[in-house]
Amino acid sequence: MFDWGWVSNNITDEILPALIGHIYLSFVSVAIALLISLPIGILVSRYRKVYPPVTFITGLLFSIPSLALFALLVSVPGLGLGSTTVIIALVSYSLLVLIRNVVAGIDSVPEETRDAARGMGLTNRQILFRVELPLALPVIVAGIRIATVTIIGIATIGAYISGGGLGELIFTGISRNFPTRVIVGAVLATLLAVLADLTLLAVERYLRPWARTRRA
Amino acid sequence: MIEFRGVSKTYPGSSRPVVNDLSFEVFDGEICVLVGPSGCGKTTSMRMVNRLIEPSAGEILIDGEPNTAMSGTKLRRHIGYAIQQIGLFPHRTIADNIATVPQLLEWDKGRISARVEELLNLVGLDPDQYRDRYPAELSGGQQQRVGVARALAADPPVMLMDEPFGAVDPINRHRLQDEFLRIQGEIKKTIIFVTHDIDEAIKMGDRIAILQEGGILAQYDTPENILASPNSEFVSSFVGADRVLKRLSLLRVSDVELGPPNGDGLPRLSERMNLKDALSELIGAGVERGSVVSDKDAVRGTLSIETIQRLSHGAEQARGE
Ligand SMILES: Nc1ncnc2c1ncn2[C@@H]1O[C@H](COP(=O)(O)OP(=O)(O)OP(=O)(O)O)[C@@H](O)[C@H]1O
Ligand SMILES: [Mg+2]
Repeated sequence: MFDWGWVSNNITDEILPALIGHIYLSFVSVAIALLISLPIGILVSRYRKVYPPVTFITGLLFSIPSLALFALLVSVPGLGLGSTTVIIALVSYSLLVLIRNVVAGIDSVPEETRDAARGMGLTNRQILFRVELPLALPVIVAGIRIATVTIIGIATIGAYISGGGLGELIFTGISRNFPTRVIVGAVLATLLAVLADLTLLAVERYLRPWARTRRA
Repeated sequence: MIEFRGVSKTYPGSSRPVVNDLSFEVFDGEICVLVGPSGCGKTTSMRMVNRLIEPSAGEILIDGEPNTAMSGTKLRRHIGYAIQQIGLFPHRTIADNIATVPQLLEWDKGRISARVEELLNLVGLDPDQYRDRYPAELSGGQQQRVGVARALAADPPVMLMDEPFGAVDPINRHRLQDEFLRIQGEIKKTIIFVTHDIDEAIKMGDRIAILQEGGILAQYDTPENILASPNSEFVSSFVGADRVLKRLSLLRVSDVELGPPNGDGLPRLSERMNLKDALSELIGAGVERGSVVSDKDAVRGTLSIETIQRLSHGAEQARGE
């Protein structure tokens, strides 16, 4: 049922490239999504009025079934098959959770902390970079965690439109009726997700040294 | 000196002013307490000084200059700011919290850490023990002390304090008040101090501005004068029916002209006691007179209930004239 021979024969020319491709897809997607979400989240925290439309649009994107979104994007002129299209889809899936966590993170800053900062003469920019974002960071990283785990899962479907990654192993495994491929792809994708989750959890903890409470 | 000149504030969307044509002066090196019932515009008045709120009319001068002469952020870096909710930065150590304004003013590192150490000592926190802690690791009272130290960090001539001891229990509050008065004795800042507690106002204030609903200045004077001669129904009910006793609490036994020593069997009163406590001792002991002694137990003279009565009554009569 499980062909160890195939695994050892194909580790360098098929399994490893698929794994690296998968990491690349996920990492680039989360990075781009974060670059979009940070300014939007900050904007929302300043102008509450834009929150409902932002939630509506990103919520809509999030709720489109992934296979349908891939198919839809492929038909967009200029995109077609390939990893760019997959990345666009993955980015659009992560926006909702990332923006939400950026906003929640900034909202979690106590009002009196902001007031004290202003009262001592910090400029708005200094308040953002020295007070709000550092305090929001653990919540933002928690959002990155959820987005990353979600994306690592959905990225496997990207192989359907030639995006590469571990999905490649799974899809060819299915079409050639060769379960070893499917299992290797699925196990690696799962491990990758768990590993990313634990790493980001550690980062989240590390970013909150002030939360340890050693009482006087 | 801080001078309010016809300052009013009406918040957007409201037709009634919450601060109404406020004019008074806060003198250099004095604590001016803004006191009054909740919602009478104390915080609003105070926050117009460092322009966290802009007045709708009038102006505020600091040392003769309108406070609009420089940008709001620059102004605020030169005015100490301490609030009831403290607002310490949870993600920064105690040392970094205190260093906030010096860092904004780009002091060099050595000067900043020396200043942090000096301030921690000043507010009674051991620098070696507390410098590197985070705010969550301190008790409420300790956080208040850090808040005050942070407001003092860049040695601003002017300080704004909004119920700075409001969030601690009464025992700690008294201790913090005493400590702060001791510190103020050394640093002599010009301070606007907001409270809704008349006892705190009497204790802390060199001068008291009593505000009433609608942000109207009801009376502005020293605690002694306000207690001796409240100028309206509102003020006399705000300071309370026990204002005669409160006024006694402002005087020390050593401030009074004592009778000749006549030691035998009289209860002893420390000359550092206030008159209210001394009166309470005498009434409690069921006697007319007590023997006043110094810290070193040297007899200074005698104090009688009659003397205290005369003092209080004199003030009452002065009010009638
Ligand atoms: N940002 C604001 N917008 C509108 N109204 C406000 C605002 N801030 C305060 N007010 C109103 O102005 C009035 C005075 O408020 P302020 O905070 O100055 O009172 P205060 O004397 O400090 O009261 P307290 O003792 O409760 O702190 C209140 O009626 C309050 O509801
Ligand atoms: Mg207030």
